[in-house]
Amino acid sequence: MTTGLSLTVEGLTVNYGGVSAVRDLSFEVPGGDAVGVIGANGAGKTSTLKAVMGLVPRRSGTLRLGDVDLSGVSARNMVRHGIGYVPEGRHVFTGLPVEKNLLLGAYARKWDAGTRATLAEVYDLFPVLGEMRHRLAGALSGGQQQMLAIGRALMSRPRLLLLDEPSMGLSPKLVGDILTVLQRLRSEGLTLLLVEQNAKLTFEATSSCLVVENGAVAMSGTSAELRNDPRVRQIYLGL
Amino acid sequence: MQVFLQTIVGGVSLGAVYALVALGFSLVYRTMGLVNFAHGNVVTVGAYLASTFYLSTKLPFALAMVVAIVVTGAIGLVIERVLRPLENKDFDLMLIGTIGFGIVLDALIIMIWGATGRAVPSPVQTAPIDLFGLRIRTYDLVVLAIAALATVLLVLFLSRTKRGAAMQAVAMDHEAATAVGIHVGRSNAIAFMIGAGLAALAGGLVGPLLYVSPALGGALGIKGFAAAILGGFGSIPGAILGGLAIGILDSFTAGHFQGYSELVTFLVFTVIIMVRPTGIFGERTVNRA
Repeated sequence: MTTGLSLTVEGLTVNYGGVSAVRDLSFEVPGGDAVGVIGANGAGKTSTLKAVMGLVPRRSGTLRLGDVDLSGVSARNMVRHGIGYVPEGRHVFTGLPVEKNLLLGAYARKWDAGTRATLAEVYDLFPVLGEMRHRLAGALSGGQQQMLAIGRALMSRPRLLLLDEPSMGLSPKLVGDILTVLQRLRSEGLTLLLVEQNAKLTFEATSSCLVVENGAVAMSGTSAELRNDPRVRQIYLGL
Repeated sequence: MQVFLQTIVGGVSLGAVYALVALGFSLVYRTMGLVNFAHGNVVTVGAYLASTFYLSTKLPFALAMVVAIVVTGAIGLVIERVLRPLENKDFDLMLIGTIGFGIVLDALIIMIWGATGRAVPSPVQTAPIDLFGLRIRTYDLVVLAIAALATVLLVLFLSRTKRGAAMQAVAMDHEAATAVGIHVGRSNAIAFMIGAGLAALAGGLVGPLLYVSPALGGALGIKGFAAAILGGFGSIPGAILGGLAIGILDSFTAGHFQGYSELVTFLVFTVIIMVRPTGIFGERTVNRA
């Protein structure tokens, strides 16, 4: 894939009808690194990711990818600046074939030989998608749809990949498969921002993490430190 | 047997027109998830524009049709642009907005062309073809051929082009479509434009078959809507099959029940939908409307 760029978020605030979902959140994802955001349901994880993508309005805050300020870029143009987005609940185009879903991931680029090459890379990463390329996306299993959602985001050749709960509703075996994929993407130099309820997966896939509570950072540190923190162990790992 | 076959032949050309109207409904539904209730009224606009260019400015019929399709397509763009703010607020409001736009168009039609209708002479004056004792009007064949061509082009557009795939993706998932870089508003505008163009095609073709009046679109709209539902809403082959089925059913009931023909047509339609609510090719029922 392509080399990752760093993401810098400063003072991000998101309000829904007067209620703040994210409050003055700042963090950085170094280029080529993987950072996780963990927290309970409703802590503001998804809102943070959607606000970075521009899918929900940012009340305040700036964001930069590498040296480029993306604060004023609309959601539809984020992909053109190198941000790939894997939505919570997969959101594949159920009525279209697998391959059309993937090609639409490259909608912002010209469909040419380069697109074909990226498609081959995605099929290499997820052989099952290649086998099912002519099936309707809606006919795939949950795990296959998750792979399709990731593959679709990779088709844009992103410099930063945002993943919202990729493990949701998957069996432990499939969660393991997702982890393998994330580790491979990271080893290829892509920058990852992973939002998860599954803290165990997140600690294994990332080098550092934020713990979000009530829309603000409650704790942060390297994934190894947090994994051994007694409070995190109790609340998020159930140990 | 001869009478039976002649009745089928008689219903096919109107059936093709219903199919075109149904295609417009299905296209907008497939790409926006919206049932456009102004569609029938847009058909009337198309019929009046085509007949005006043909009769008053003496353009050749084919050219009059093309101009009418372009102008009506532009009206489709205007409708989408006016209703767009509603889409972002609440989708149901947009649906109601199309009903409102239909009423506005109806009023404009009466203001411009008056409340009485006009007859459009057939552009094809050759004698009917005799095929094994069946009389086939040449114009019916023209209507069939044009409807078939329009359908093939639409299917190719949706299945073979990037824009066509993107338009279908928008209907399936707004947010995911935005995330891959698709301009949702532009996609909807194109859907409305093509839908209105199909409406004008249907309206222009039906002129020489029926009387062009302000009530034309209401009648064609409801038949086309029924055709789309019968075939399975959103399905392209369904729209074609549904249209032809309603056209042939029409032809039979007109022969056997005269004044009650519409009643019988819609009774049969209702029974079929009760047995098979998703229609012939329907995978899903209308749920976003």
